Parts: sequence; C-alpha cells; structure tokens
Amino acid sequence: MRGRPKLFTSYVAESQLFPTRIQKVLVVVGIIVLVLMPFDLPVISQIPIVRFLGDNIWLRLVNRMLIFTIAALGLNILSGLAGQVSLGHAFFMGSGAYTAVMLGGKGSANLWGWGLPIWIWLPASGVVAALVGIAVAPAAVRVRGLYLGIATLGLVFIGLHLSRVFPEIAGPGALGRKWPRMQFRLWKEEDPLVDFSRDGDWFWFEVSKNQKTYLLLLALTVVAAVVAANIARTRTGRAFSAIRERDVAAEIMGVPEFRYKTMAFAISSFYAGVAGALLAVLAGQVPPESWGLLLSIQFIAILLIGGIGRVSGALMGTFFVVLSPRFIEEVIDWMKEQVDAGGIFSGVFDTLISTGDGDGGLLAISETALGYPLPASALDELVYGLLIVVFLLFEPLGLYGIWMKVRNYWKGWPFSY
Amino acid sequence: MSLTVADPPTAETGGGTPTVASRAREWAGRAPRQVALREKDFGIWQEYTWERTWDLIMDAANGLLALGVEPGQRVSIQSEDRPEWVILDLATVAVRGITVGLYPTNPAAEVEYLLTDSTATIHFAEDQEQVDRALEVDPARLPGLRRILYTEPRGLSSYDDPRLLYWEDFLEMGRSYRRDSPGGVERRMAEALPDDVMTLVYTSGTTGPPKGAMLTNANVDYAMTIINGDTGLRGAQIPGPGDLTLTYLPLCHVAERIFSTWHLVGCGICLNFAESIDTVQSNLREIQPTLFFAVPRIWEKMHASVMIKGGDVTLFKKIWLGFGLRLARVIGREKVANGGNHTPKSWLLNLVGYPLVFRALKERIGLRRCWHAGSGAAPIAPEVLEFFIGIGVPVYEMYGMTENSAVATVNYPGRMKLGTVGEPYPDIGFRIDEETGEIQTKHPAVFLGYWNKPEQTAETFTDDGWLKTGDVGEWVDGTHVRIVDRIKHIIITSGGKNISPSEIENTLKTSPYVKEAMVIGDGRKFLAALIGIELDTVGDWALRQNIPYTTYRDLSEKPEVLELIQKVVNETNEKFARVESIRKFKMIPKELDHEDGELTATQKIKRSAMEDMFGDLVESMYS
Repeated sequence: MRGRPKLFTSYVAESQLFPTRIQKVLVVVGIIVLVLMPFDLPVISQIPIVRFLGDNIWLRLVNRMLIFTIAALGLNILSGLAGQVSLGHAFFMGSGAYTAVMLGGKGSANLWGWGLPIWIWLPASGVVAALVGIAVAPAAVRVRGLYLGIATLGLVFIGLHLSRVFPEIAGPGALGRKWPRMQFRLWKEEDPLVDFSRDGDWFWFEVSKNQKTYLLLLALTVVAAVVAANIARTRTGRAFSAIRERDVAAEIMGVPEFRYKTMAFAISSFYAGVAGALLAVLAGQVPPESWGLLLSIQFIAILLIGGIGRVSGALMGTFFVVLSPRFIEEVIDWMKEQVDAGGIFSGVFDTLISTGDGDGGLLAISETALGYPLPASALDELVYGLLIVVFLLFEPLGLYGIWMKVRNYWKGWPFSY
Repeated sequence: MSLTVADPPTAETGGGTPTVASRAREWAGRAPRQVALREKDFGIWQEYTWERTWDLIMDAANGLLALGVEPGQRVSIQSEDRPEWVILDLATVAVRGITVGLYPTNPAAEVEYLLTDSTATIHFAEDQEQVDRALEVDPARLPGLRRILYTEPRGLSSYDDPRLLYWEDFLEMGRSYRRDSPGGVERRMAEALPDDVMTLVYTSGTTGPPKGAMLTNANVDYAMTIINGDTGLRGAQIPGPGDLTLTYLPLCHVAERIFSTWHLVGCGICLNFAESIDTVQSNLREIQPTLFFAVPRIWEKMHASVMIKGGDVTLFKKIWLGFGLRLARVIGREKVANGGNHTPKSWLLNLVGYPLVFRALKERIGLRRCWHAGSGAAPIAPEVLEFFIGIGVPVYEMYGMTENSAVATVNYPGRMKLGTVGEPYPDIGFRIDEETGEIQTKHPAVFLGYWNKPEQTAETFTDDGWLKTGDVGEWVDGTHVRIVDRIKHIIITSGGKNISPSEIENTLKTSPYVKEAMVIGDGRKFLAALIGIELDTVGDWALRQNIPYTTYRDLSEKPEVLELIQKVVNETNEKFARVESIRKFKMIPKELDHEDGELTATQKIKRSAMEDMFGDLVESMYS
C-alpha cells in the first residue's frame, strides 16, 4: 500500500534494504556523486567533503579507504554478525595478498610467480583466503570469546613466521617483493586491455591512474557492501545472528553451529583475501610485517568506532579510521603554519606543538621516537586508541549508534518513543 | 470459481433479495484482484483478494450445507475478529442461516445461555479457550448442536469430543460437497427473502439476560442504503475500494458489524484485522486507515496516551508539542463552533500546526489518512472530541442501537454540534416522545423482534408500532439531538429532583485517571459515587510522585490517590448544579471485569450487579 511505510504484506517488503522511495533516490544520487567525485565537475565538486576528497592527492588515500572498507565488511560478517572475535584478519589479508603475488607476480630464480592476469589472481586470492578460513574455523567451534581472540592472534604470528620460512613467496629482506600492477589482461599478452596503473584516456576523457583505480575499487566496494548487506537479511544472516546471541541456543533452535561458524569464517576471509590482494597491489611493494597485529587491530577499531554489526557502521568506521590520520596531519600542518605566520592563534598553538630543541609543547613535529614530547606521527594511534576507549564506554554501538540516536529522536517525533 | 447463479431467481420465490452474501459475490465479480481482507500473521499482513475471499465463503457455505444447515438455523461464532468470522458470517447468510455472534469475553455461563437460547446448530469457537467454554456446557442441554468448529488447533489435539471439527477440514468438506453437488449454495442464495432473519445480535443487557435482536435482510439492506447513501453517514462522500478500516471491536456488536462487514460488502472497502485489542495502537500505525470507528473508551485512551507520552519528552520536544497542542485546542474550538468546518482563523493556524506537529502526531496515532471517524455506543467527553478535531481527525458522534440497526442520528460533516449525537437521518421515522422524552424510531431497519421473547418484543414497541429506544433525548436548536440518559438510569433523589447520572459519570471519566464511575442517589438525600481508577495512568502518576504501591486495591486506597480523585470530583461538581454535585465517593476496590459480571461485554457497568456487590460501600457513604 502506498504511503503506509509500516504496512508490510510480504517478508520481501519488510526486509528491503532501502524501503522508502526517498532512500532509493538518495542511494542512487549518492552513487552518482561518488562516481563523479574525482572529476572536477562544476556542481559536484562544490559539495564540501567531495571537494577535497576528489582531489588527486586525497584520492590515493580514498582508494586505500575503499580497500579497507572491503576488509572491514568481511570482519563485520565474522565479528559483527556472527559474533566471533578475530584478531587474525591481517593474516587472512596476507593469505590473499601472497596468493595474488604468486599467481600474478613475476617469477624469477628465487621467487615464485606465474604472471597470470587479474581475473585469475583476484578471485583466487579470495578463494585461498576462504580456504584458510575454513581450515581455521573448527578452532572457533571449540573455543569462544577471548580465547578465540587469542587463538586467532596466533595466526598473525604464524603468518609472520611462514613469511620467513618461505622467502620464495614473501620475497627476501625487509622490503618485500613487488606485486603485479593493476592491469587487466585476457592472458599474458604484452599490452593490457585496461590499464589502471597509468594515466591515460578513457573514451574522450583524460583519466589519471588514481581516478581509474578509484572507479574500479568503488565498483568492487559497492558490490561487496551490497553482498554483505544481503547476507545479513538472508537465512544465513539470521543464523549468524542466532549464533552471535548464544551459540548453544542457536544449536538447539536447529542452527548447525559448526556449519555456520565455518561459513562465517569462509565469507569473512574471502573479503579479507580480496582486500589484502588489492591493498598490496595498490602499494606495489609490501614487507611481510605489514600483515601484523597492528593491521588487525585497525579493523577492530574500525568496527568499534563505526558500530559493530552494521554495514553502514563498517563504512563510517573506515572513513573515520583511514582518513583521520590524514586530517590530523593537516591540522598539525595548519597549526604550524599559524605559529610561523604569527597571529591570534599562534600563541595557543605554540604551546601545543614543539618544533624542535628547547621549544616546549605536547607534540613534536620533528621527533619520531615515542616519549615526551609526543611525535606527531604517533598521534593518530593515540587518537583512535582513545576513541576506542571512549566509544566502548559511552557509545558501544559506535558512530552507527550515534546515528541511530539522532534518527530515533526524529522518528519518535513528536514523542520520545 | 462459480460466480454464476445456477437457478436464476424467480418472482414466485421472491428470490434475488440482496443480502450481504450476494453483495459480496458482486464485489468478487467486479473486483476479483482487489484486496478485501488483511490479517496479520507471523508479522506480515496476509492479504485476501475478493476472489479468494468469495472462494472461501463458498467453501464454508458448502461446508454448512454438507453439515445439513437448513434455512433459518443458527450458526454461532465466538471468536476474536479474524477473517474466519466474516467468512463464516457471510457463508451462513448465503445458505439462509442465521449468524449469532458471541463476545470472545463471554464467560462459560453466558456461553451456555447464548447457545441454549439461540439453539445453535453449528458453533464456531476460535481456539482452545473458546472450545473449552463450549464443551463445558452439558451436551444434553444443547441437543441441536452438531458441530463445534475451531481454527486454532493448538492444544486441541488430545480433545476427543466427536463434535469438534477443524476449520480447514470443514472447508475441505465444503470443497468436496461443492464438487459433488454444485449449485446448492447458489440455489439457497436465489431463494433468499427480504424477511429472512440474517443475524441475531445479542444486546449486552445491563439489566437481565441478553436478548437476541433479530435483524432481517431487509433491515440490513435498508441500513446500508441509509448509512452509505447520498445523505448517509458521511454526507455526500461514499467510501469505496480505496478505503481501509481497522477491525478490532467485537464483530458480534452491531457497530463493528456495520463498520466492518457491511461496509466491506456495501462499499468494497478493505478490512484489516487487528491482532488484538491491545495492539490496536500499533496496528493503527501500520494500517493508517481511512475510515475508523471507535467507542469513547478507545478515543479517551488514545487521547490519554498522547498526553502521557507528550509529558514524557525532552525539553525541546515538550515546548514544541505544547505549542502544537495549544494550537490544536484553538483550532478545535473554532471548528467545533463552526459545525466541524474550518474558519479562516483555524485554517491559518492549521497551516502552521500541520507541518510542525499535527502531521507527525496523526501518523503516530495512526490516523493521518483518516478522513472520517466515528464515535458511538456511549457518550464521549467533548474535550476529547475537540482535541481530535483540533489536530485534524474528523470525529463525529453518532447514535443508534441494535434494535434499529443503528439507524437513528448522526453528526454530518460540516453540521456537527458538540455534545449532541447529531441529526436524524433524513426521511426516517424519528420522534421524541413528548411525555417521557424517550426517543422512538420507525423505519424499515427496525428489527423484527427479540428471539423467542414475544413479551419483551411487545414491550419494546409503542401501540402505534414505534420502537422505544429506552433513551431519553432532547432537541438542541430544533435540529440536533442530545441524549440525556437511559430512562432506567434516571435518578430521582429524595428531594424529588430528576438527575441524569450518565452526564456526571462521563464528566468524571473525562479525567485520564478515572476509568469507571457510577453515580448513586436514587431515593437518597444526596448523590454519591463509586469510582474506579485507571491503573495505567494513576500508576504512572504514582511512580512520578514516588508513591510505592503493590496492587490495584492498594493504589486506589492511597491517601494521595484519594486526594487526586477528590480534585477530579471537585472539578466535576463545578460544572453541575448544586443538587447534582457529588458529596461523597468511594473507590472501587477491584478492576471491574466482564468475567466477574460487573461489566457487560461492551464494558458498560451493570448497575444492579454493582449495587449487589458493593452495597456495603454504598451504604457506608449514606450512614
């Protein structure tokens, strides 16, 4: 029935992703804006955030953010939806990344690599990671909660160890090996069909490599998000939620715990594998240590800050966690400029930042070692460490929870409930 | 599907009389894809198209034939509102049977009375609870009862009474009967006569046992034409297939039957069955009906919930809502003074208030799309009416009774008068007896008489054949009618003064804290009252005042609560003359209940039962 948003005559209608017409329109408009964002178009580039995110320098970071989003969506399925704590996300990402480099990278005497095209190595990186996930899943059926966290934490160190045992895969030394470029080939021909790694013309438009990569990643992210959102509203998703609330009760309700926990690990690892492969390809060269605990923790931070269990939470969290260091950097730079220029704020900022020897201040621009004054480069870690604490204490549902509160305030209008 | 009549009606049989069943068949032919019924099941509103509805009615009607239901035999239904109610009702009429509705709250003793009085052949008991009530009756007292149908099989698998029959099996029975001997129902429908009794509507009976009012096909047909004619209930606006209503009051009551079943078959509106009386609020929000009928109790509850929820908000919302409600009061006053139409001033104020508050408020109470709402069956407090009119829900008070198929008076849109029940429908026989002040009606919708009660039937009619309604009324401005009280309720004090207790009781009940009130004083020196509190609101109030309480009785006897009620009584006294003021009152120590016999099925106080039960309380006030 039109104009009756709460009247559902079928479950399909009730579980629609975007139930109202306005939401549908907004999603379409949002995607159009996102697609057009990097191109300096008259109207769209005037939208505040879009204006500088579309900027070429920021775009690289935005690309990184999109990859993180895919990985975060994966962890969200495992931890948010199915309730299984995992600190091993970086390990699954690494599995994907090394699958990609083995299949897609160039081989040599002491490096394995077959130079296969992207349409093989990208899905394969997901599949291999998923298989690894399936192998790990039985552990999750035996141990729960904190113990599972520690068990998966072990994975990260096993991964680091393996990278040293097999230099043929991980590459020698601290720099790591080179990943294949983001190019689309049908097979091993010389000229790629589509080259995302070089500036060039598409049709009649001049497109930079960042813009090309952005469009590719945007498409992948949208697909990943839609799939993730759909998983949540299917039978599988409901089974995951049942396990999250209480696995024993779920089992009694007829939800096979083993099967669904394995499935959750497989799906989550698939996302992680694909994201890992993309992340390494975007960076070009990655040392094995990058797939360490810090990366895993970053994803926990993303989920906690964004709001666990929700696709939109994962999106908000990634946006915040990946972009905030850069924002902080910009702010510090701006403060420094103010100090140098002298002005109303210079006094205030001068006490905050320390430019070198003898200058008092909380933040050291030039220092890199931890201690007092705090190096500015360490600030972002401090900030989201603090944020995790603050969110856990005051808003366990994260940014999504804040959004829910705001939304409920207006939904309840003119009452409170 | 067979929509064709096997045997066309002939003049000799007098057939072809339009019945509610034949009208349903017309709709099924005219709009087979249109949704006729909606029922919430497992969280989803399941839809019944007209085609499916009619098919089910045919199955049920054939099932009745298979069970050997002859014309004039009774089929009783004791169930909450659900599609099966309407389907069985229409199926019964289709085979020229008589539908008898029982309230789902009727206790076992009353079920026994109703089943024996109506001598039902088939009884529909919704679920285990209702089946138990029917089975409690000694089978020897119900020799004619062949089958007890049930539709909720939960808990019934171990029952071995041979009369029990599952609804789906019953339909299957009908289907095979239909295959084997088609055309039976069509023949019955073609034979229908205008004077066929189609339903017995048992009056709630505040005094004495319930009486079954016989309504015929002709009664209902006339009532439908009057109510939904060009000068009907809603003026020139006639509802149609685009309209929705929520069905939640007991369907055995004539009011819900009119606004649900008869509107369904008469206008093709869509019925939406509320899950239960407790979920009406949330069901309303989902359905957002375009037509709505409620008894004053529901309107008062909705009003109270707006006030309570509105008091329970953050400061900004409180200021905002307070502003809106002030606007609503002014608009309500303006509109009421203008017959329900906007004045330029109220129109302008509404222009401000609608986007700010009213739209959201109406959405929340589920009446945003409601273009006509009715209130009837009991008097409503003018303040409540004014509030709803103020926020833009056009509520009109109307008046009628079972015995005249509820065809009496109505407040027409644009011509309403607050405190009256409106004008008589044009061209119906309507008069107010000059001597007694009793309202009397005479028109084709006046019932045939009470089932098996010729003396009582005779008492209900005047010598010249007018129906005595038992209500005292008076003319207001020569056009509108105001109901004073039931004749039987009028109190004559020892000072010889005639007092209408209902007015005082209703004013008391305007307060959200008062649920029940009964004014006493017949043959006494002064008026006293028994007052029952509304547990929800008073409980909420007590919570805010930090008054701990345990039970209903404990709460109603708290000195603070007595003070609160005293305030209500004082406010009421200010509105009435000195002789009409309540000098003393006592709290009713329990929540009144139909099961315990203090209330009728329609939640009206049974005065005689109350006087028996709380006689010592009453005496204590006069000693």
